[in-house]
Amino acid sequence: MHPFEYIVPSSAPEAVALLAEHGESACPLAGGTDLIVDLKHGPGNINLLVDVSALPEFRGIDETPDGLRIGSMVTFGEIMASPVCRKMTPEIVAAAHTVGAVQTRNLGTVGGNLVTCVPSADIAPSLMVLDARVTVIGSDGSREMPIEEFFVAPRKTSLQPHELLESILIPKNALGKPSKFLKFGLRNGQALALVNAAGSLWLDKDGKTLVEPRLALGAVAPTPLRATKTEAFLTGKPATDKVLAEAAEIAVSEAKPIDDFRASANYRRQIIRTFTLRVLKRSIEIAREV
Amino acid sequence: MLVQLKVNGELRSADVPAETTLLKLLREHLGLTGAKLGCDVGDCGTCTVIVDGESVNSCLMLAARAAGHDITTIEGLANANQLHPIQHAFEELGALQCGFCGPGMIMSAKHLLDKNTEPTVAEIRDALAGNLCRCTGYTKIIEAVVVAGRAMSSTDARP
Repeated sequence: MHPFEYIVPSSAPEAVALLAEHGESACPLAGGTDLIVDLKHGPGNINLLVDVSALPEFRGIDETPDGLRIGSMVTFGEIMASPVCRKMTPEIVAAAHTVGAVQTRNLGTVGGNLVTCVPSADIAPSLMVLDARVTVIGSDGSREMPIEEFFVAPRKTSLQPHELLESILIPKNALGKPSKFLKFGLRNGQALALVNAAGSLWLDKDGKTLVEPRLALGAVAPTPLRATKTEAFLTGKPATDKVLAEAAEIAVSEAKPIDDFRASANYRRQIIRTFTLRVLKRSIEIAREV
Repeated sequence: MLVQLKVNGELRSADVPAETTLLKLLREHLGLTGAKLGCDVGDCGTCTVIVDGESVNSCLMLAARAAGHDITTIEGLANANQLHPIQHAFEELGALQCGFCGPGMIMSAKHLLDKNTEPTVAEIRDALAGNLCRCTGYTKIIEAVVVAGRAMSSTDARP
Protein backbone atom coordinates (compact mmCIF):
# COMPACT_ATOMS: atom_id res chain seq x y z
CA MET A 1 0.00 0.00 0.00
CA HIS A 2 1.14 3.54 -0.66
CA PRO A 3 1.91 5.62 2.46
CA PHE A 4 -0.88 7.47 4.22
CA GLU A 5 -1.60 8.91 7.62
CA TYR A 6 -4.07 7.30 9.99
CA ILE A 7 -6.12 9.15 12.59
CA VAL A 8 -8.68 7.94 15.11
CA PRO A 9 -10.91 10.93 15.90
CA SER A 10 -12.50 11.05 19.32
CA SER A 11 -15.91 12.27 18.15
CA ALA A 12 -18.07 12.48 15.04
CA PRO A 13 -17.73 16.29 14.81
CA GLU A 14 -13.94 15.88 14.92
CA ALA A 15 -14.12 13.28 12.13
CA VAL A 16 -16.29 15.61 10.04
CA ALA A 17 -13.87 18.52 10.65
CA LEU A 18 -10.89 16.39 9.56
CA LEU A 19 -12.67 15.34 6.38
CA ALA A 20 -13.72 18.92 5.62
CA GLU A 21 -10.18 20.17 6.22
CA HIS A 22 -8.42 17.59 4.04
CA GLY A 23 -10.95 17.36 1.23
CA GLU A 24 -10.56 14.64 -1.37
CA SER A 25 -7.20 13.46 -0.08
CA ALA A 26 -8.91 12.14 3.08
CA CYS A 27 -11.22 9.17 3.35
CA PRO A 28 -13.22 7.75 6.24
CA LEU A 29 -12.39 4.15 7.17
CA ALA A 30 -15.20 1.86 8.33
CA GLY A 31 -14.74 -1.94 8.27
CA GLY A 32 -12.17 -1.68 5.49
CA THR A 33 -13.26 -4.80 3.61
CA ASP A 34 -13.63 -2.77 0.42
CA LEU A 35 -11.45 0.26 1.18
CA ILE A 36 -8.27 -1.60 2.16
CA VAL A 37 -8.52 -3.60 -1.07
CA ASP A 38 -8.98 -0.34 -3.02
CA LEU A 39 -5.97 1.19 -1.24
CA LYS A 40 -3.83 -1.80 -2.22
CA HIS A 41 -4.81 -1.65 -5.87
CA GLY A 42 -6.08 1.91 -6.36
CA PRO A 43 -4.52 5.11 -7.71
CA GLY A 44 -2.88 6.11 -4.42
CA ASN A 45 -4.59 9.49 -4.05
CA ILE A 46 -5.61 9.03 -0.39
CA ASN A 47 -3.23 10.65 2.09
CA LEU A 48 -5.30 10.42 5.26
CA LEU A 49 -7.53 7.71 6.67
CA VAL A 50 -9.98 8.85 9.33
CA ASP A 51 -10.97 5.72 11.23
CA VAL A 52 -14.60 6.22 12.26
CA SER A 53 -15.26 2.55 13.05
CA ALA A 54 -15.17 2.92 16.82
CA LEU A 55 -16.88 6.32 17.19
CA PRO A 56 -19.45 5.95 19.95
CA GLU A 57 -22.02 8.03 18.00
CA PHE A 58 -21.85 5.48 15.16
CA ARG A 59 -22.03 2.35 17.28
CA GLY A 60 -24.74 0.35 19.02
CA ILE A 61 -28.13 -1.19 18.33
CA ASP A 62 -30.73 0.60 20.45
CA GLU A 63 -34.48 0.59 20.87
CA THR A 64 -35.59 4.22 20.94
CA PRO A 65 -39.05 5.83 21.15
CA ASP A 66 -38.87 6.27 17.32
CA GLY A 67 -37.86 2.71 16.52
CA LEU A 68 -34.75 0.57 16.24
CA ARG A 69 -31.57 2.59 15.75
CA ILE A 70 -28.62 0.78 14.18
CA GLY A 71 -25.33 2.66 14.34
CA SER A 72 -23.62 2.85 10.96
CA MET A 73 -20.49 1.15 12.32
CA VAL A 74 -22.35 -1.92 13.58
CA THR A 75 -20.85 -4.98 11.87
CA PHE A 76 -22.83 -7.67 10.09
CA GLY A 77 -21.60 -10.09 12.75
CA GLU A 78 -23.08 -7.85 15.45
CA ILE A 79 -26.42 -7.65 13.60
CA MET A 80 -26.52 -11.46 13.43
CA ALA A 81 -25.74 -11.79 17.14
CA SER A 82 -28.16 -9.08 18.29
CA PRO A 83 -31.16 -10.50 20.19
CA VAL A 84 -33.24 -7.40 19.39
CA CYS A 85 -32.48 -7.61 15.64
CA ARG A 86 -33.20 -11.34 15.62
CA LYS A 87 -36.56 -10.73 17.24
CA MET A 88 -37.70 -7.48 15.62
CA THR A 89 -36.00 -7.55 12.19
CA PRO A 90 -35.16 -11.18 11.37
CA GLU A 91 -34.82 -10.51 7.63
CA ILE A 92 -32.17 -7.83 8.23
CA VAL A 93 -30.34 -10.56 10.15
CA ALA A 94 -30.89 -12.96 7.24
CA ALA A 95 -29.52 -10.38 4.80
CA ALA A 96 -26.49 -9.70 7.02
CA HIS A 97 -25.79 -13.45 7.01
CA THR A 98 -25.52 -13.48 3.19
CA VAL A 99 -22.73 -10.88 3.13
CA GLY A 100 -19.22 -12.23 2.41
CA ALA A 101 -18.00 -14.80 4.92
CA VAL A 102 -17.59 -14.88 8.71
CA GLN A 103 -14.30 -12.95 8.71
CA THR A 104 -15.55 -10.18 6.45
CA ARG A 105 -18.86 -10.01 8.38
CA ASN A 106 -16.86 -9.43 11.57
CA LEU A 107 -15.16 -6.43 9.94
CA GLY A 108 -17.71 -5.11 7.45
CA THR A 109 -20.30 -2.61 8.64
CA VAL A 110 -23.88 -1.85 7.71
CA GLY A 111 -22.92 1.77 7.05
CA GLY A 112 -19.96 0.76 4.91
CA ASN A 113 -22.21 -1.46 2.81
CA LEU A 114 -24.62 1.44 2.22
CA VAL A 115 -21.98 4.11 1.60
CA THR A 116 -20.12 1.90 -0.90
CA CYS A 117 -23.43 2.06 -2.75
CA VAL A 118 -23.10 -0.81 -5.18
CA PRO A 119 -26.36 -2.08 -6.71
CA SER A 120 -25.84 -5.50 -5.10
CA ALA A 121 -25.49 -4.16 -1.52
CA ASP A 122 -27.02 -7.07 0.37
CA ILE A 123 -28.25 -5.18 3.41
CA ALA A 124 -30.12 -2.50 1.41
CA PRO A 125 -33.34 -4.28 0.30
CA SER A 126 -34.12 -5.61 3.77
CA LEU A 127 -33.82 -2.09 5.19
CA MET A 128 -35.76 -0.44 2.36
CA VAL A 129 -38.85 -2.62 2.81
CA LEU A 130 -38.99 -1.60 6.48
CA ASP A 131 -39.08 2.11 5.49
CA ALA A 132 -35.64 2.68 7.00
CA ARG A 133 -34.40 6.25 7.38
CA VAL A 134 -30.76 7.29 7.56
CA THR A 135 -29.15 10.10 9.53
CA VAL A 136 -26.02 11.76 8.19
CA ILE A 137 -23.82 14.20 10.05
CA GLY A 138 -21.75 16.98 8.48
CA SER A 139 -20.26 20.39 9.15
CA ASP A 140 -23.73 21.95 9.12
CA GLY A 141 -25.23 19.49 11.58
CA SER A 142 -27.23 16.38 10.84
CA ARG A 143 -30.01 15.57 8.40
CA GLU A 144 -32.31 12.62 7.93
CA MET A 145 -33.76 11.05 4.78
CA PRO A 146 -35.51 7.90 3.56
CA ILE A 147 -32.87 5.32 2.71
CA GLU A 148 -33.79 5.22 -0.99
CA GLU A 149 -32.88 8.92 -1.29
CA PHE A 150 -29.42 8.04 0.03
CA PHE A 151 -28.61 6.02 -3.10
CA VAL A 152 -27.93 8.26 -6.11
CA ALA A 153 -25.93 6.23 -8.65
CA PRO A 154 -23.49 3.31 -8.67
CA ARG A 155 -20.91 4.11 -5.95
CA LYS A 156 -22.49 7.53 -5.40
CA THR A 157 -24.60 8.44 -2.39
CA SER A 158 -26.18 11.75 -1.43
CA LEU A 159 -23.39 12.28 1.14
CA GLN A 160 -21.45 15.51 0.73
CA PRO A 161 -17.64 15.09 0.95
CA HIS A 162 -17.57 16.21 4.58
CA GLU A 163 -20.59 14.16 5.63
CA LEU A 164 -20.71 10.77 7.34
CA LEU A 165 -23.49 8.23 7.72
CA GLU A 166 -24.32 8.13 11.41
CA SER A 167 -27.16 5.66 11.83
CA ILE A 168 -30.10 3.83 10.33
CA LEU A 169 -33.54 3.93 11.92
CA ILE A 170 -36.20 1.28 11.45
CA PRO A 171 -39.40 3.15 12.38
CA LYS A 172 -41.34 1.68 15.27
CA ASN A 173 -44.40 0.82 13.16
CA ALA A 174 -42.25 -1.34 10.84
CA LEU A 175 -40.74 -3.45 13.63
CA GLY A 176 -42.12 -6.97 13.47
CA LYS A 177 -43.63 -6.35 10.03
CA PRO A 178 -43.87 -9.63 8.07
CA SER A 179 -40.93 -9.63 5.66
CA LYS A 180 -38.69 -11.89 3.59
CA PHE A 181 -35.22 -11.43 2.06
CA LEU A 182 -33.71 -13.64 -0.65
CA LYS A 183 -30.34 -13.54 -2.38
CA PHE A 184 -29.28 -15.40 -5.47
CA GLY A 185 -25.53 -15.80 -5.92
CA LEU A 186 -23.50 -18.36 -7.82
CA ARG A 187 -22.41 -20.03 -4.57
CA ASN A 188 -23.90 -20.26 -1.08
CA GLY A 189 -20.86 -18.63 0.50
CA GLN A 190 -18.88 -15.53 -0.33
CA ALA A 191 -20.71 -14.61 -3.52
CA LEU A 192 -22.07 -11.33 -4.83
CA ALA A 193 -25.78 -11.24 -5.60
CA LEU A 194 -26.99 -11.73 -9.17
CA VAL A 195 -30.27 -10.53 -7.75
CA ASN A 196 -31.42 -9.93 -4.20
CA ALA A 197 -34.93 -9.03 -3.11
CA ALA A 198 -36.94 -8.21 -0.04
CA GLY A 199 -40.65 -7.87 0.52
CA SER A 200 -42.79 -6.81 3.45
CA LEU A 201 -46.48 -6.32 4.04
CA TRP A 202 -49.31 -6.37 6.52
CA LEU A 203 -52.65 -8.08 6.01
CA ASP A 204 -55.81 -6.21 6.90
CA LYS A 205 -58.15 -7.60 9.57
CA ASP A 206 -59.98 -9.50 6.83
CA GLY A 207 -56.85 -11.64 6.43
CA LYS A 208 -56.45 -10.99 2.71
CA THR A 209 -56.18 -7.30 1.83
CA LEU A 210 -52.58 -6.15 1.38
CA VAL A 211 -51.59 -3.16 3.51
CA GLU A 212 -48.37 -1.19 3.02
CA PRO A 213 -46.81 -3.76 0.67
CA ARG A 214 -43.13 -3.12 -0.01
CA LEU A 215 -40.74 -4.62 -2.55
CA ALA A 216 -37.05 -3.80 -2.96
CA LEU A 217 -34.69 -5.33 -5.50
CA GLY A 218 -30.90 -5.35 -5.68
CA ALA A 219 -28.36 -5.81 -8.49
CA VAL A 220 -31.04 -5.05 -11.11
CA ALA A 221 -30.71 -1.27 -11.46
CA PRO A 222 -28.01 1.41 -10.97
CA THR A 223 -28.85 1.49 -7.26
CA PRO A 224 -30.86 -0.72 -4.90
CA LEU A 225 -34.42 -0.22 -6.14
CA ARG A 226 -37.72 0.34 -4.34
CA ALA A 227 -40.27 -1.20 -6.73
CA THR A 228 -42.80 1.59 -6.21
CA LYS A 229 -45.02 0.71 -9.18
CA THR A 230 -45.35 -2.84 -7.92
CA GLU A 231 -46.12 -1.55 -4.45
CA ALA A 232 -48.77 0.86 -5.76
CA PHE A 233 -50.39 -1.96 -7.72
CA LEU A 234 -50.47 -4.28 -4.69
CA THR A 235 -51.80 -1.75 -2.18
CA GLY A 236 -55.36 -2.61 -1.17
CA LYS A 237 -55.49 -5.67 -3.44
CA PRO A 238 -56.40 -9.14 -2.17
CA ALA A 239 -53.48 -11.54 -1.59
CA THR A 240 -54.36 -13.94 -4.40
CA ASP A 241 -52.07 -15.87 -6.74
CA LYS A 242 -53.40 -13.87 -9.68
CA VAL A 243 -52.58 -10.53 -8.05
CA LEU A 244 -49.11 -11.72 -7.04
CA ALA A 245 -48.38 -13.03 -10.53
CA GLU A 246 -49.35 -9.68 -12.00
CA ALA A 247 -47.18 -7.88 -9.41
CA ALA A 248 -44.20 -10.02 -10.42
CA GLU A 249 -44.61 -8.89 -14.05
CA ILE A 250 -44.72 -5.24 -12.96
CA ALA A 251 -41.58 -5.78 -10.87
CA VAL A 252 -39.81 -7.26 -13.92
CA SER A 253 -40.85 -4.26 -16.01
CA GLU A 254 -39.68 -1.62 -13.52
CA ALA A 255 -36.27 -3.21 -12.91
CA LYS A 256 -33.41 -2.27 -15.24
CA PRO A 257 -31.03 -5.22 -15.15
CA ILE A 258 -27.96 -5.28 -17.36
CA ASP A 259 -25.85 -7.98 -18.99
CA ASP A 260 -22.53 -8.43 -17.25
CA PHE A 261 -19.98 -11.17 -16.64
CA ARG A 262 -22.07 -12.63 -13.80
CA ALA A 263 -25.40 -13.03 -15.60
CA SER A 264 -27.49 -11.80 -18.51
CA ALA A 265 -30.22 -9.24 -18.07
CA ASN A 266 -32.73 -11.81 -19.24
CA TYR A 267 -31.62 -14.32 -16.61
CA ARG A 268 -31.88 -11.62 -13.96
CA ARG A 269 -35.45 -10.82 -15.10
CA GLN A 270 -36.43 -14.42 -14.52
CA ILE A 271 -34.95 -14.35 -11.02
CA ILE A 272 -36.78 -11.06 -10.30
CA ARG A 273 -40.09 -12.69 -11.28
CA THR A 274 -39.46 -15.75 -9.11
CA PHE A 275 -38.07 -13.82 -6.14
CA THR A 276 -40.90 -11.26 -6.19
CA LEU A 277 -43.39 -14.08 -5.92
CA ARG A 278 -41.40 -15.85 -3.21
CA VAL A 279 -40.76 -12.86 -0.95
CA LEU A 280 -44.39 -11.72 -1.17
CA LYS A 281 -45.82 -15.21 -0.64
CA ARG A 282 -43.55 -15.85 2.32
CA SER A 283 -44.45 -12.47 3.85
CA ILE A 284 -48.14 -13.33 3.48
CA GLU A 285 -47.57 -16.69 5.16
CA ILE A 286 -45.80 -14.98 8.04
CA ALA A 287 -48.60 -12.41 8.30
CA ARG A 288 -51.12 -15.24 8.59
CA GLU A 289 -49.08 -16.98 11.28
CA VAL A 290 -49.08 -13.96 13.60
CA MET B 1 3.52 4.73 14.37
CA LEU B 2 3.91 2.71 17.55
CA VAL B 3 1.42 -0.14 17.76
CA GLN B 4 0.99 -1.95 21.05
CA LEU B 5 -1.22 -5.00 21.22
CA LYS B 6 -1.62 -8.32 22.95
CA VAL B 7 -0.68 -11.31 20.83
CA ASN B 8 -1.33 -14.80 22.18
CA GLY B 9 -1.45 -13.39 25.70
CA GLU B 10 1.80 -11.48 25.42
CA LEU B 11 2.14 -7.70 25.19
CA ARG B 12 3.95 -6.83 21.96
CA SER B 13 4.77 -3.60 20.19
CA ALA B 14 6.26 -2.47 16.91
CA ASP B 15 6.93 0.81 15.16
CA VAL B 16 5.35 0.47 11.72
CA PRO B 17 4.09 2.73 8.91
CA ALA B 18 0.33 3.46 9.09
CA GLU B 19 -0.32 1.48 5.90
CA THR B 20 0.89 -1.77 7.53
CA THR B 21 -1.74 -4.48 7.73
CA LEU B 22 -2.13 -6.60 10.85
CA LEU B 23 -0.92 -9.56 8.76
CA LYS B 24 2.27 -7.77 7.81
CA LEU B 25 2.83 -6.69 11.41
CA LEU B 26 2.50 -10.26 12.62
CA ARG B 27 4.65 -11.82 9.92
CA GLU B 28 7.35 -9.25 9.31
CA HIS B 29 7.64 -7.36 12.56
CA LEU B 30 6.68 -9.89 15.24
CA GLY B 31 8.05 -13.00 13.54
CA LEU B 32 4.72 -14.85 13.64
CA THR B 33 4.55 -16.41 10.17
CA GLY B 34 1.70 -18.84 10.92
CA ALA B 35 -0.96 -16.62 9.36
CA LYS B 36 -0.29 -16.70 5.63
CA LEU B 37 -0.44 -14.13 2.87
CA GLY B 38 -2.67 -15.62 0.18
CA CYS B 39 -4.96 -13.48 -1.96
CA ASP B 40 -4.35 -10.27 0.06
CA VAL B 41 -7.92 -9.09 -0.69
CA GLY B 42 -9.99 -10.95 1.93
CA ASP B 43 -11.18 -13.86 -0.21
CA CYS B 44 -9.02 -16.86 0.73
CA GLY B 45 -8.97 -16.72 4.54
CA THR B 46 -5.47 -18.07 5.07
CA CYS B 47 -4.60 -14.90 7.00
CA THR B 48 -7.44 -15.47 9.51
CA VAL B 49 -6.69 -14.47 13.10
CA ILE B 50 -8.98 -13.85 16.06
CA VAL B 51 -9.33 -10.30 17.40
CA ASP B 52 -11.19 -9.95 20.70
CA GLY B 53 -12.90 -13.29 20.10
CA GLU B 54 -13.99 -12.56 16.50
CA SER B 55 -12.26 -13.98 13.42
CA VAL B 56 -11.08 -11.48 10.83
CA ASN B 57 -8.98 -11.35 7.67
CA SER B 58 -5.73 -9.86 8.97
CA CYS B 59 -4.87 -8.73 5.41
CA LEU B 60 -7.88 -6.36 5.54
CA MET B 61 -7.21 -4.91 8.98
CA LEU B 62 -4.67 -2.18 9.57
CA ALA B 63 -2.18 -2.91 12.34
CA ALA B 64 -3.02 0.51 13.77
CA ARG B 65 -6.61 -0.58 14.28
CA ALA B 66 -5.50 -3.68 16.17
CA ALA B 67 -3.67 -1.51 18.70
CA GLY B 68 -4.89 -2.21 22.23
CA HIS B 69 -6.72 -5.36 21.17
CA ASP B 70 -6.28 -9.02 21.99
CA ILE B 71 -5.04 -11.08 19.01
CA THR B 72 -4.89 -14.87 18.82
CA THR B 73 -2.92 -16.46 16.00
CA ILE B 74 -2.29 -20.09 15.13
CA GLU B 75 0.91 -19.87 17.20
CA GLY B 76 -1.23 -19.30 20.30
CA LEU B 77 -3.06 -22.62 20.14
CA ALA B 78 -0.57 -25.38 21.00
CA ASN B 79 1.73 -25.39 24.00
CA ALA B 80 5.11 -27.10 24.25
CA ASN B 81 3.55 -30.43 25.19
CA GLN B 82 0.24 -30.58 23.42
CA LEU B 83 -1.51 -29.64 20.21
CA HIS B 84 -4.86 -27.86 20.41
CA PRO B 85 -7.72 -30.37 19.88
CA ILE B 86 -8.44 -28.81 16.47
CA GLN B 87 -4.82 -29.18 15.36
CA HIS B 88 -4.84 -32.74 16.69
CA ALA B 89 -8.02 -33.60 14.77
CA PHE B 90 -6.69 -32.05 11.54
CA GLU B 91 -3.53 -34.16 11.90
CA GLU B 92 -5.34 -37.38 12.81
CA LEU B 93 -7.83 -37.14 9.97
CA GLY B 94 -5.39 -35.95 7.33
CA ALA B 95 -7.41 -32.78 6.82
CA LEU B 96 -4.45 -30.92 5.37
CA GLN B 97 -2.52 -31.71 2.23
CA CYS B 98 -0.22 -28.84 1.28
CA GLY B 99 -1.21 -27.09 4.51
CA PHE B 100 -1.24 -23.51 3.25
CA CYS B 101 -4.89 -22.99 4.18
CA GLY B 102 -4.41 -24.75 7.53
CA PRO B 103 -3.72 -21.83 9.87
CA GLY B 104 -6.78 -19.99 8.58
CA MET B 105 -9.00 -23.09 8.55
CA ILE B 106 -8.03 -23.90 12.11
CA MET B 107 -8.58 -20.34 13.35
CA SER B 108 -12.02 -20.22 11.68
CA ALA B 109 -12.81 -23.61 13.22
CA LYS B 110 -11.70 -22.28 16.60
CA HIS B 111 -13.95 -19.22 16.22
CA LEU B 112 -16.87 -21.57 15.56
CA LEU B 113 -16.10 -24.21 18.20
CA ASP B 114 -15.35 -21.70 20.96
CA LYS B 115 -19.03 -20.69 20.67
CA ASN B 116 -20.54 -24.07 19.77
CA THR B 117 -18.78 -27.41 20.16
CA GLU B 118 -21.60 -29.31 18.44
CA PRO B 119 -22.13 -27.52 15.14
CA THR B 120 -24.12 -29.11 12.31
CA VAL B 121 -22.34 -29.78 9.02
CA ALA B 122 -24.24 -26.82 7.56
CA GLU B 123 -22.94 -24.59 10.35
CA ILE B 124 -19.39 -25.81 9.76
CA ARG B 125 -19.64 -25.14 6.03
CA ASP B 126 -20.97 -21.65 6.75
CA ALA B 127 -18.19 -21.02 9.27
CA LEU B 128 -15.51 -22.10 6.77
CA ALA B 129 -17.02 -20.37 3.71
CA GLY B 130 -14.30 -17.73 3.89
CA ASN B 131 -11.46 -20.25 3.87
CA LEU B 132 -10.42 -21.72 0.55
CA CYS B 133 -8.58 -25.04 0.23
CA ARG B 134 -7.28 -26.08 -3.20
CA CYS B 135 -6.15 -29.59 -2.18
CA THR B 136 -8.50 -31.69 -0.12
CA GLY B 137 -12.02 -30.92 -1.26
CA TYR B 138 -13.10 -29.96 2.28
CA THR B 139 -14.61 -33.33 3.30
CA LYS B 140 -11.84 -34.25 5.71
CA ILE B 141 -11.63 -30.69 7.00
CA ILE B 142 -15.32 -30.76 7.93
CA GLU B 143 -14.90 -34.18 9.56
CA ALA B 144 -11.95 -32.87 11.55
CA VAL B 145 -14.00 -29.93 12.85
CA VAL B 146 -16.73 -32.34 14.01
CA VAL B 147 -14.16 -34.51 15.80
CA ALA B 148 -12.42 -31.49 17.31
CA GLY B 149 -15.74 -30.18 18.62
CA ARG B 150 -16.39 -33.47 20.40
CA ALA B 151 -12.90 -33.40 21.90
CA MET B 152 -13.37 -29.80 23.04
CA SER B 153 -16.73 -30.49 24.68
CA SER B 154 -15.32 -33.49 26.59
CA THR B 155 -12.35 -31.33 27.66
CA ASP B 156 -14.80 -28.67 28.86
CA ALA B 157 -16.69 -31.27 30.88
CA ARG B 158 -13.55 -32.45 32.66
CA PRO B 159 -13.43 -31.27 36.27
